[in-house]
Amino acid sequence: MNNRKLLPTTVVGSYPKPNWLRRLIREYEKGEISNKIMRRAYDDAVKAVVKEQELAGVDILWDGEMRRDEMISYFARRIEGFTIYGEVRVWGNNYYPKPAIIDELRYRDELAVSDYKFLRRITDHEIKIPITGPYTLVDWSFNEYYRTREEAVYALAEVINQELRRLADAGASYIQIDDPAIPTHPEEIEVAKNSIEIVTREVDAYIGIHICYGDYSKIYPEILEFNVDQIDLEFANRNFKDIGIFKDYEFTKDLGFGCVDVHTRRIESVEEIKDNIRKAFSIVKPERVYVDPDCGLKLLSSEVAFKKLRNMCQAAREIREELKG
Amino acid sequence: MSRIIPTVLGSYPRPPWFREYLRKVEGLQKEGGRVIDEATYAKAVGEVIREQRDAGIKLFTDGQLLWHDLLCHLATKIDGFEMNGLIRYFDNNLYYRIPRVKAKLERRRSIVVDEFRVAYSIEHEMKTVLTCFTLASLSEDEFYHDKSELVMDIAHIMNQEAKELVRNGAKYIQIDEPSLLYAEKEDMNVMKDAIEVIRRGVDAKFFLVTYFRDAERIFPEVLDFNVDVIGLDFVEGYEKNFELLREYDMDKEVQAGVVDGRTTKMEDKEQVKQKIRAIHDAVNGETLYVSPNTGLEFLPYIKASEKLKVLCNSVGDIQ
Repeated sequence: MNNRKLLPTTVVGSYPKPNWLRRLIREYEKGEISNKIMRRAYDDAVKAVVKEQELAGVDILWDGEMRRDEMISYFARRIEGFTIYGEVRVWGNNYYPKPAIIDELRYRDELAVSDYKFLRRITDHEIKIPITGPYTLVDWSFNEYYRTREEAVYALAEVINQELRRLADAGASYIQIDDPAIPTHPEEIEVAKNSIEIVTREVDAYIGIHICYGDYSKIYPEILEFNVDQIDLEFANRNFKDIGIFKDYEFTKDLGFGCVDVHTRRIESVEEIKDNIRKAFSIVKPERVYVDPDCGLKLLSSEVAFKKLRNMCQAAREIREELKG
Repeated sequence: MSRIIPTVLGSYPRPPWFREYLRKVEGLQKEGGRVIDEATYAKAVGEVIREQRDAGIKLFTDGQLLWHDLLCHLATKIDGFEMNGLIRYFDNNLYYRIPRVKAKLERRRSIVVDEFRVAYSIEHEMKTVLTCFTLASLSEDEFYHDKSELVMDIAHIMNQEAKELVRNGAKYIQIDEPSLLYAEKEDMNVMKDAIEVIRRGVDAKFFLVTYFRDAERIFPEVLDFNVDVIGLDFVEGYEKNFELLREYDMDKEVQAGVVDGRTTKMEDKEQVKQKIRAIHDAVNGETLYVSPNTGLEFLPYIKASEKLKVLCNSVGDIQ
């Protein structure tokens, strides 16, 4: 996996859904259109979003999560043992349907294999598959069934591991475990670490872990012990203040470097993003840096998301040239 | 005569239709502006008050339906604050925008008085939530460089707000201070003075409420605070808080958080009843407020009233 170009550009996962797709989803939910038409609509949306990412210059891409409503309930609805009562707030006016564990957790439906296979057919680019980690899925769910959180996390880790093995068998080479909940309970970092051991067991692929928000000082350097190849973090949202946290210990993994803020509509200029990317080199050498936005782009308009990605890729390209220089 | 009064902490989940409404008028991003139609807001507040009343609650809140978090709702209306990036609110899957202190803090307009008026027109037994120490602690101070000065200036602002609330009918003011449970001893001295400032000239019953963990760090100093009711979390901090109650002679009333506001798992009524009885005995039969340990915004809308019913039914059986 180390034959990638210098400073590969990638996305964290989500991309804004086209307005026409949102409308179709609403109609589908009202029962006004068939499964078949909806499936085709999703396929078309993925094609459009893949094209956008390609035009923006992204090297390693994903399908923009067109088929996922969000990163928790989408998986919970496909795993035995979850139910969903309603939405709760994440911040401001952003809510998500928070699942509740009401029974033993078991593998039921595939989570991303067919999405991966479809994407493989329509792009030559390298593909990264984001899947929410068991620690975060449990932390962001209510637990009415298991005696302890730990038990719930490990049970779910087994389920996710099955999916990762299926993905690798299908040819997936790069899987990202989204685990933003890990810094929430630094005292449980062993549980999180064990969960990643289980999730990645016998999975032959490059594994990244994405952690956004939270206080990184509480999980560093412990996070270096996790069984992953890359750690992907946000830096732009808090104006790169967190960089200092990573200087005390040698950063021994690849670094996914969030260099574009997804929580503001402002489009960072190429020059600004170049300055941002260079900040990563104070943590690891350029050969270990992946360039991406802080987080998924779904809360932005497509236009803003595209411009941010385009400038980010241009910035990476220019630095790449300078480094070669 | 001793009484057990079921109450709520502060937040209540927004009714789903109101949540959608706010999403439309405010948007999803940091920049969201706000023009809320008062009649629409009043309808939503009416609903959450009715939910509380139907469950058996006797002392209400307006559900803090416009608050995005404990801090920004206050900070955006106080001159001197700017809002910064998002960060996790304690150990919750809930984020707040970090307020940044850029200049001397001043209150140039009322903060929650308009909301209070709407709620008060529906129900008079209404607690209003403010905070002081927690706002200071979770803010980034780029101006004062002295925490006690920052706390005291916020206290002055909250005092002005409390006065205006009382002029509009408020009888109960709750100061939410989850951060106080992480306070250093010298912070306790500052906060004691701050409470004096907040109360000055304000004729209302004051609640100082803590949650998310036990209150060991603030005892016994908090007993000298000039408040009428101390709120303790008997879900997260049950054993330790129970010890504190038995160890110290409380000359204040207690608001006990006895059901878990952060899980959809419903408590066994018998166990809640036992817990309330034990606490009631430990406070020598004084008036006892019982509530969920936290605000209810952590729950889906349909589960909030279910949780309150568990609480109120447990109380009903005791009295």
